[in-house]
Amino acid sequence: MTAVIGTAAIALGLASAILGVGTLAMGLRSGDVRLLRLGRRYVWMLLAAALVATAAMQVALITHDFSLRYVADNNSRSTPLLYTITGMWSALEGSILLWALVLAGYIAAMVHRFAKRAEDPLVAWATLVALVVAVFFFGLMAGPANPFRLVDGTIPLDGTGPNPLLANHALVAFHPPMLYLGYVGFTIPFAFALASLVTGRMGEGWLVETRRWALFAWAFLTAGIVLGGWWSYEVLGWGGYWAWDPVENASFLPWLTATAYIHSVVVQERRGMLRVWNISLLVATFALTILGTFLTRSGVLDSVHAFSESAVGPTILAFFAVIVVVSIGLIGWRGDALRSPASIDSPISREGAFLVNNVAFAAFAFVVLLGTVFPLVVEALNGDRLSVGGPYFQRMTLPIGLSLLFLMAVAPALPWRQASPEVMHRRLLRPAAAGVACVVVAVAFGVRGIGPLLGFGLGTFAAGSAVRHLAGSVAAARLQGERVWRGLVGRTNGGMIVHLGVILIAVAFAAGSGDGSRRQLRLNPGGSATVEGHRITYLGIKTVEFPNRRSTVARIRVDGGKVYEPALSQFPFATQAIGTPSVRTGIINDVYLTLVAIPSEPAGEAVIGVVVAPLVTWIWAGGGLMLGGTALAAWPRRGRRPKQPATANTRSSGDDAPVESEPGTRPAPQMA
Amino acid sequence: MSRRATWSVLLGILAVALGIGASGDRGPRSEDEQVQAIAARVRCPTCRGLSAAASDAPAAEAIRDEVRRRVRDGQSDGDVVAYLVGSYGQDIVLSPEAAGAGLFVWALPVAVVVVAVGSLGSVAVRRGRRPTPISDEDRDLVERARNRS
Repeated sequence: MTAVIGTAAIALGLASAILGVGTLAMGLRSGDVRLLRLGRRYVWMLLAAALVATAAMQVALITHDFSLRYVADNNSRSTPLLYTITGMWSALEGSILLWALVLAGYIAAMVHRFAKRAEDPLVAWATLVALVVAVFFFGLMAGPANPFRLVDGTIPLDGTGPNPLLANHALVAFHPPMLYLGYVGFTIPFAFALASLVTGRMGEGWLVETRRWALFAWAFLTAGIVLGGWWSYEVLGWGGYWAWDPVENASFLPWLTATAYIHSVVVQERRGMLRVWNISLLVATFALTILGTFLTRSGVLDSVHAFSESAVGPTILAFFAVIVVVSIGLIGWRGDALRSPASIDSPISREGAFLVNNVAFAAFAFVVLLGTVFPLVVEALNGDRLSVGGPYFQRMTLPIGLSLLFLMAVAPALPWRQASPEVMHRRLLRPAAAGVACVVVAVAFGVRGIGPLLGFGLGTFAAGSAVRHLAGSVAAARLQGERVWRGLVGRTNGGMIVHLGVILIAVAFAAGSGDGSRRQLRLNPGGSATVEGHRITYLGIKTVEFPNRRSTVARIRVDGGKVYEPALSQFPFATQAIGTPSVRTGIINDVYLTLVAIPSEPAGEAVIGVVVAPLVTWIWAGGGLMLGGTALAAWPRRGRRPKQPATANTRSSGDDAPVESEPGTRPAPQMA
Repeated sequence: MSRRATWSVLLGILAVALGIGASGDRGPRSEDEQVQAIAARVRCPTCRGLSAAASDAPAAEAIRDEVRRRVRDGQSDGDVVAYLVGSYGQDIVLSPEAAGAGLFVWALPVAVVVVAVGSLGSVAVRRGRRPTPISDEDRDLVERARNRS
């Protein structure tokens, strides 16, 4: 029954997306506004179809309807309810369904938001583009990735259950939905970018409209990536949070280009420059989300030759190719109209810094993309297999990361148009002194290696610069009789808080880049050992039975205090035991414990993995700060904003203040 | 102190600190450190994306044991890695050698950045030579704005 409803819902979704595209296309061609208004109604049908299909899948999972192949493969009678629900995104077909649901939600939100402008060809085109994307995803489910396919032969009495790694931590309920809210959200700015190219309306209006959507998607993508790192840390048991694995890189790539976009779009709003570049970044971000889906969902990573076994890989790759070709074609076609009459006065200026920032982010994305696809390309070309992993990415991205930290320190202090040495001296001296002091202290405490030291120093420099900016802004808010927190609201202020979060994460990465604090201890019950100053005492093991697994738990006392319980669990359908680490968190370092080998007899020797990982909590704190900062940046302001210290002497003081001259023309002269 | 002197002092202190931090390494590596360093350069054959140093998988442990045996025999890092390549294949190494096809993955990003920075720089230099002159129209605008306030 659920199969019939689900299949029908997907067919309805596909049909409504196709009808929507057709109606809008006809309306745009004939200029008939009734068709434009009718076309957007199909979006509500699309959303309804996606909701029904999702509900059908959830009912099938919760009622253990093993007549569905997807349910039989990703659920079992002993799977706890939480992991039954999250089973929807445990494998390819279900996660495409989640994607389609989120996409339908975004398109509906967009249509709702622009309801008053439904007759505007730009909005109609954007809706059309978004619906074309929906046609692709619903078509994928109607064809090669059908989540409602029935099992071949007899219906099994019980399913195999989800991958055990996806069924032992509650974070699986949050990480994928967040990530998808991020990925899919970039469809809307992309749709507006293409719409502006098609209609030839490259004015800044649509940018302002979609910047917020891009920021929203970016925030979710950030949350998704950080939660993914957290999941990896809490579940995978190797004591790290980022392995430069292709799956991680696939989520990081659109983040990098989107981050470049939210910086360079400011230059376009202020100075009318970088239009081609900004549109390219939006296109790249969206295309990279599709490429990421291809990389992670087609099996191509296991072997280049595996992905053609199912039609899913080639279909996604073809869609990616269409996006790239169409977008590049449109940008080339409109190239002349996109050229900006404005130019940069001085490279040592805010806009100059934004340009360098964009080069750095583009280089970062290029390195990650190249390293991720290079093994595939080489294997496809000459059959050689080679790996590009952690050491490559660390080495190549370290200089880029350090440059970005340096920019984060200097750029907020740079005025628009042109900087003077006095201003820079006044604004940067204290942050720079703090950075140097941090390096001196770190060396005194025995930190060695240029990478970590520069990371700490530049991180402090950048943090000082952000704090200086915020302090100025808070002081200005007080001067104007506003509440102190008003000084933290606004795009630039929120952005500085996001910077502080990024700096925390960067410093943690710098601290974690050296290893050597990883040990395996062989201990008998009652035995102790010391790792990096932490006393680890093994107390013994116990066995715990759960409905879906049997776990062997080691009881380990850390530093004479609390007892931690890393475990090894046997799931019914898994060949290998699945480890569950246990972590003593701390501000300076985490003590990360795993049970590597169960003793053959209760009084025997257990093998315990110990990783002393520095500053890991800073990463989670940094992620939280980034999200809080984004919320403050998007917070609606009321009345006049306090002047930005960096631009206090120019006429348009706030970053969001309406540009008084027509953007792209010669900006208003500065008042001395 | 003048501006220039202040910044020179800061840079001087930084250079000295970094000099100490970079040169004063911990001396000769212990056997554990050497094993760890070599294992971090190769892949755990049965995992995805993890080095043989980071994984608890039996295959990774086997590699670490083999590395330890060879380190005890006095083999250099390069010898051990070469042996591992011989028995597991080229893709056991996590960062490709800068030779043959592998050269590409190292050199291409550097080339792209050099070209990007170079072209930006040349634009900046060209622009820098002719600052936008302030026209009379601009001065009038400023004058009118001042009179208004």
